[in-house]
Amino acid sequence: MAKGTTIRMWRRSLLVLIILVAALVGVGGTKLVLLQLVQGKNLQQMAIEQQRKDIVVSAKRGSIYDRNMKPLAQSATVWTVVLEPVYIDSEEKSQLIASELSKILELDYEEVFKKTKENSSSVILKKKIENDVKDKILNFQKEKHIRNGIRVVEDHKRYYPYGCLASVVLGFTGTDNQGLWGLESYYDRELSGQDGRLVTARNASGTDMPFEHEQMISPKNGYSLVTSIDETVQHAMEKYLEEGRINSKSVNGATAIMMDVNNGEILGMAVKKDYDPNKPFELEDQDFLKALEALPENEKTKAKHAMLNYQWRNKAVTDSYCPGSTFKILTASMALEEGVVDENSKFHCTGGLIPFPGVKKIRCHKRTGHGSQTFPEAICHSCNPAFMKIGQDLGIERFCKYFRNFGLREKTGIDLPGETNGIFFQNMRPIDLIVSSFGQNFTITPIQMIVAVASCVNGGKLVQPHVVKQILDEGGNIIKTTDKLIKRQVISADTSRKMCELLQKNVAEGSGKNGNVPGFRIGGKTGTSEKKPDNKGPSVLEKYNIRNFSGGKDYVASFVAFAPSEGKESKYVLLVLYDTPRGNSYYGSQVAAPIAGKIFYDALMHLGVRKKYNEKELINLEKNVPFLVGSTVDKAKADIYKNELQAIIKGNGDYVVSQIPEAGEKIPKNAKVVIYTDEMSTQRKVKVPKFSGLSLADANKLAFNSDLNMNILGVTDSSNGEIVSSNQSIPVGEMVSAGTIITVRFVQKDTVE
Amino acid sequence: MKKINLDTTPFNFKNKKRKAVLKKQKKELKGNIRAFFLKSGIDMTFCTLTLVLLVIGLVMLFSASFFNAYCYQNGDSYFFIRNQLIWALLGVVVLFLTSLIDYNKLKKLAIPILFLSYLLLLAVLFMPVRNDVHRWIALGPFTFQASEITKFAVVLSFAYLISKNFKHMSTFRYGVFPFALIVGSTAFLLYLEPHISCLVIVVLLAGGMLYIGGIKLRWFGVVFIFFLAALAYLILSNKLSYANERIIGWLDPFNSTADTWQTRQGLYAIGSGGLLGLGLGKSRQKYLFIPEPQNDFIFSVVCEELGFIGALIILLLFAMLIWRGIVVSMRARDKFGALLGIGLTAQVGLQVILNIFVVTNTIPNTGISLPFFSYGGTALVMLLAQMGIVLSISRTANLEK
Repeated sequence: MAKGTTIRMWRRSLLVLIILVAALVGVGGTKLVLLQLVQGKNLQQMAIEQQRKDIVVSAKRGSIYDRNMKPLAQSATVWTVVLEPVYIDSEEKSQLIASELSKILELDYEEVFKKTKENSSSVILKKKIENDVKDKILNFQKEKHIRNGIRVVEDHKRYYPYGCLASVVLGFTGTDNQGLWGLESYYDRELSGQDGRLVTARNASGTDMPFEHEQMISPKNGYSLVTSIDETVQHAMEKYLEEGRINSKSVNGATAIMMDVNNGEILGMAVKKDYDPNKPFELEDQDFLKALEALPENEKTKAKHAMLNYQWRNKAVTDSYCPGSTFKILTASMALEEGVVDENSKFHCTGGLIPFPGVKKIRCHKRTGHGSQTFPEAICHSCNPAFMKIGQDLGIERFCKYFRNFGLREKTGIDLPGETNGIFFQNMRPIDLIVSSFGQNFTITPIQMIVAVASCVNGGKLVQPHVVKQILDEGGNIIKTTDKLIKRQVISADTSRKMCELLQKNVAEGSGKNGNVPGFRIGGKTGTSEKKPDNKGPSVLEKYNIRNFSGGKDYVASFVAFAPSEGKESKYVLLVLYDTPRGNSYYGSQVAAPIAGKIFYDALMHLGVRKKYNEKELINLEKNVPFLVGSTVDKAKADIYKNELQAIIKGNGDYVVSQIPEAGEKIPKNAKVVIYTDEMSTQRKVKVPKFSGLSLADANKLAFNSDLNMNILGVTDSSNGEIVSSNQSIPVGEMVSAGTIITVRFVQKDTVE
Repeated sequence: MKKINLDTTPFNFKNKKRKAVLKKQKKELKGNIRAFFLKSGIDMTFCTLTLVLLVIGLVMLFSASFFNAYCYQNGDSYFFIRNQLIWALLGVVVLFLTSLIDYNKLKKLAIPILFLSYLLLLAVLFMPVRNDVHRWIALGPFTFQASEITKFAVVLSFAYLISKNFKHMSTFRYGVFPFALIVGSTAFLLYLEPHISCLVIVVLLAGGMLYIGGIKLRWFGVVFIFFLAALAYLILSNKLSYANERIIGWLDPFNSTADTWQTRQGLYAIGSGGLLGLGLGKSRQKYLFIPEPQNDFIFSVVCEELGFIGALIILLLFAMLIWRGIVVSMRARDKFGALLGIGLTAQVGLQVILNIFVVTNTIPNTGISLPFFSYGGTALVMLLAQMGIVLSISRTANLEK
């Protein structure tokens, strides 16, 4: 093999071959593993970031609906104006754009001009402009043939069609449509969806591709929430709560919650004062504005911040309070469940009690004492010594066990931000137990209270409260349904049934009378608790001299009640709470209970709860007004009498031309129906007299004499003391047609607790 | 005698007959193809690998270039692929023609081609500057890089001289001096262009061929010491500033102040590919991010579109080409053929390795194209001609056929 290759050549060639292949596959392959498999994700991310010269197209935020799909929060389309300075290449174009856009958008010319010169691919000029402004810009572009350099991108604005309604529940959004408070914040991820992008491929210089290489990555719109809030119920709650807040002069605000006891759905949650989520950053309270005005300039920002935070506060889940006598519902439940008491247990009240030697006497609210009483009577009297005795009999261990089981040591887990926990004793002493038995010296939040009470009247189940029932996608498909969650059985169904009866008795004839609504078998308990000196009012109110909490005792007046529902499985529990009332009365029975009655009446009527009267109520049973217009006077009269009503005829005609009340209205038995037989007679009006401070009989007489029909609300049973009219639906002195229905509310005069 | 059922059997009978005929024809055809290769004697494996790489290269070139062509060639997306396709067809013809020529005829051309190389390397210094360097020579409507000829000239002349002086390779006078002269002068001219990647290839090729040719290993030690001295001089005299920035960029391509745009975009592309890639034609980085994606950085587009799996398959195809080229050449009838074949194969291999190292940022960025993939008509024809020479060598090779 002289000509061919030698052995050494072979060997050396092989080595060269091996080195080449090793370098190629070994080193090259390893490097590819590193770059593509190990660092691949990072590199890809960096690549994507530079590949898009994009403009964010905001996703449409999902709506928030009430339980009947009425929209409580919605998003409307607005526009963002973006400048693309890379396309504004001439001085002339800059000037033209700056002068025109500064006019349309009401901006400073210099500022816009500067932005057209910026070394950037896109600059935001103005956000949230409306359709008409957008059209002006598009017209300007068309007229002046400006093909690029200005871009109008879709954005959204949040608005709340019902204004303040349920604002503490709904919360509000910020300028970038991010949820900041309430459901908007708690469900921000579900609501916000995924922003889209307007992507234009770009090269190194930042200009778009030389042909239409524009791609819209469509935004993925957010999910919608269906809440358990009922707009009508919520509206009634807010209306009456605010009315009560003003009347009672509650300087620290008020809150009300209504919940379905069986599944924990919140039907309404109201806090007053609240804010308008359409403009959450404006102070609503005039006192705040005044206080802010008075501050020196450098403190204003900080003070406004504190005030806004106070304004946004959801009192129902954030502010804890001493439940006072309303807590007796829970103490009574514990005692019944443990067999410490039964319906026949006897208690004696002398107006106060020294629970054990060495302790000061703790007084009952009735200084003269309730005397000898049974357990149900003790509840109706809201007798403190009786409950001190019950507490003592329960003992610290059992009391604490139930306290925990009622969910009062943990947050309820309601789907709203800002929930807090109350303050309970680290180590409970016997004296703490005594005062805790009637709800003093510890605090819980209103939502904790209502959930605990719900468990006393729903068969003993502690439910998880929630506001959102369902989450829907854009097409209305259900993404998620909130299931009813029962945390534990606290008391037996039997005890719960007994508690319902006791509480209904309390409203029918005991201390809760002012919350009664005839026809609905309301059960409940009032409460008036002392505020501790160290926990009187929020610091922001005192710090900026908005309210003064020094001197005098302050109270929390509350009423917690439930209404059973005939023919429906649900039962509703309602808590009304006034913080620091400084009006004529500070008692739960005077301040909170009547408001609860009004709320219940409107809410239950709306919710379709059927009325069921007891015998006493039957006397005042309402009758339907028949349709009379067009018929002869004689026939009309006959119809009216047939319905157990009275007829009053005005005018000299033969036929009925109009009637008051209208057909279908409900008025009490033997009330008057006025029928008009000629046009002249319809012109006549009567003046509304003053109805306050009258007994039922006097009020009735006055109404009759004034040719008015009276609709009675509130307490109607005078067996337990005098009842008087407190307010009327039509103001004094107003001229109305004869026969008009005026609603008069009656309260028990001497209820205190 | 067995009775044949005429109702049922004739068809089968006919069919059988026809099958037999078909089989025979097929066998003949197969035989013909084999006969062609046997007759021409070229190595089918190497030929197939070459053509497969050429086809893949063309497909990837189209994918990588069409957008760039749209942007910079007056909206003509097919600009690059059309040109490359024409050159590729021409190249395939050249491939088969050179495979038919007896490579021994190249011996006579070895020295003239070497002189042509020098001439071109000198001429190129007077050509207009493109991208700050003198590399291209215009020949009518075409341009080509002088270094394409240089690489071939070095391989050819070395193969010729080594085989001629094979017995005296251990001496300085015959085994070292002439080669050192050729490499040194060529390297100096390439340094003047400057064309560092080609310089590196020429030096490595020369070293490899001398090594196989049987040079004493201590000469490599001498070259190594010389290299170190040169490096020290360059560092001390601060003449590396041009390369310095590249090295800084190489060490940290993402944060460097140096211009690492191309490297960075290439790495983005490679990383974006992941395991399976974005799919053929779906590269995003080719949209003007990678400058001239049809040239040196085409492999990063390959990685982005075909992923790790695809890229690895292409690396393996190249590795097989190198393996087959060297194995075939080693079995050549004579030493000239063996050295020439190994040299030409190694040249392709080195170019692939350096290109992939540059694209993956394994070594600092230096302009080097990827054989079969990168755009460049004259280079492609040259490459296919060289592959033809390897095939020609394979005809004489002592393979088990």
